[in-house]
Amino acid sequence: MIEFKDVTVIYDNDIIGLENVSFKIEDGEFVFLVGRTGAGKSSAIKLLTGEIKPYAGDVIVNGITVNRLKSKKLPYLRRSVGTVFQDFRLLPNKTVYENVAFAMEVVRAKKKDIRRKVPTILSLVGLADRAKNYPNELSGGEQQRVCIARALVNSPAIVIADEPTGNLDVETAEEIMKLLLEINRMGTTIVMVTHSTKIVDDAHRRVIQLESGVVVRDEQEGGYTSDVLA
Amino acid sequence: MYSLKTALSSLGKNAVMTIASIVTIACCLFLFGVFLLFAFNINYIGEQISEQCEVQAFIDDRVDRAGEERILKEISAMPNVKSAEFESKTQAFENYKEKLEGYGEYLDGMEGEEILRSSVKITPDDLTILNDTVSQIEKIDGVANVVNHEATVRGVISFTQAIKIGSLIAMIILLMTAVFIIQNTIKLSVHAREDEIHIMKFVGATDSFIRRPFVLEGVIVGIIGAAIAIIVIAFGYNAAVNGLTGFLDLFELYTFSQMALPVAGGLLIFGILMGSFGSRTAIRRHLKV
Repeated sequence: MIEFKDVTVIYDNDIIGLENVSFKIEDGEFVFLVGRTGAGKSSAIKLLTGEIKPYAGDVIVNGITVNRLKSKKLPYLRRSVGTVFQDFRLLPNKTVYENVAFAMEVVRAKKKDIRRKVPTILSLVGLADRAKNYPNELSGGEQQRVCIARALVNSPAIVIADEPTGNLDVETAEEIMKLLLEINRMGTTIVMVTHSTKIVDDAHRRVIQLESGVVVRDEQEGGYTSDVLA
Repeated sequence: MYSLKTALSSLGKNAVMTIASIVTIACCLFLFGVFLLFAFNINYIGEQISEQCEVQAFIDDRVDRAGEERILKEISAMPNVKSAEFESKTQAFENYKEKLEGYGEYLDGMEGEEILRSSVKITPDDLTILNDTVSQIEKIDGVANVVNHEATVRGVISFTQAIKIGSLIAMIILLMTAVFIIQNTIKLSVHAREDEIHIMKFVGATDSFIRRPFVLEGVIVGIIGAAIAIIVIAFGYNAAVNGLTGFLDLFELYTFSQMALPVAGGLLIFGILMGSFGSRTAIRRHLKV
């Protein structure tokens, strides 16, 4: 479960990132975070991964108040929150298999578990036959699938997808969206930041809209309203 | 295992910078070692000079044999007296004749008692409090006067102190230079793996896990640099001492084997510490995500 309780974020240059933001996301939900550039979506995402701390209020993830967590404990929280980036951030010198396995290696997973789990995850994202390829040998959609596999491999309860379809064409974006919905059906909570009207409108999922750091809409099975532009 | 593999692979990928760093670290530690050897030997020479700085308490002619015994006992019992040795008038005369070498015969027919005084030759323990000891000896009944080489002793002390301080400053500068070089090597390595560090942070790697390969990388550079410096110093020092034979006959210098443990151990420890410290500071900023 994710909960924002009266969260305010103020940056060093006095710019307000979020102002008195409160919402709750239950386990297993799929939530779109929408809004103009600078609306506060990135601030919300950064709060969830402990990259920034709120000026006021509390951010609770899986029962842990992230902003009160000591920095030494932050890695353990991040193991329960998978992150998917718009620009994939794959390691070019590692194969698809190694990129995914890397996420397990760095949390000191057993080799036996890595050998068992990585092929399963690669099959789930449809890349079982691309395990030995390097990122530069893959299409954009395939690279994003690797990124999703990497986010999922440590079995996080929550996946944060920061504009995962931003660099992809419409068809590939739809494929990625299908994959994310499939992962959500398996029980993983997904918070997805997007500027894509079509994706939001087609998905009929909960939409939280931010404007100038304030929640202006929180709608179950909402659409991407026409007045919100990238 | 992951850390060692990553560290070695990173050192290999940045081979040119790694070699340049190792050579520079070796040079810094070599100079550090030279200063260390220099400081050890200066200290040793200082000790030798100090040991040669005797204080001589001359005894009044009117003091009888029993009085001389008493004075020797009193001086020997003083806290800063390492050793005290009585020299009778006759012994003093004989020693004087010996010092004159071939010209001693001119003194034949003269009686020692007529021209020289008996004395007590004292080796002090601590030269820095020599003045107090001399004043105490002067107060002993029957002591006519005390001769000491205080000015020479003070000169030796301040000279060795200055050399020690100078060496220490030079060593600190060299160590700081070495740390700076290691920092830059590791910074290059960190820069090359910035994306990897970022991903590691996001998938939940601990800071110590991320830091370890870089620290190991710095430590490896430090150890190899130190090892090269130790080998060069070991061969170079003995050659240098052999070259100085004849020039420095007055004093004895340490052999390398006498200093091998502190010098080699010191360089190795400094190499490891510098590598560890340099890399820790180089990566610190990148862990704040």
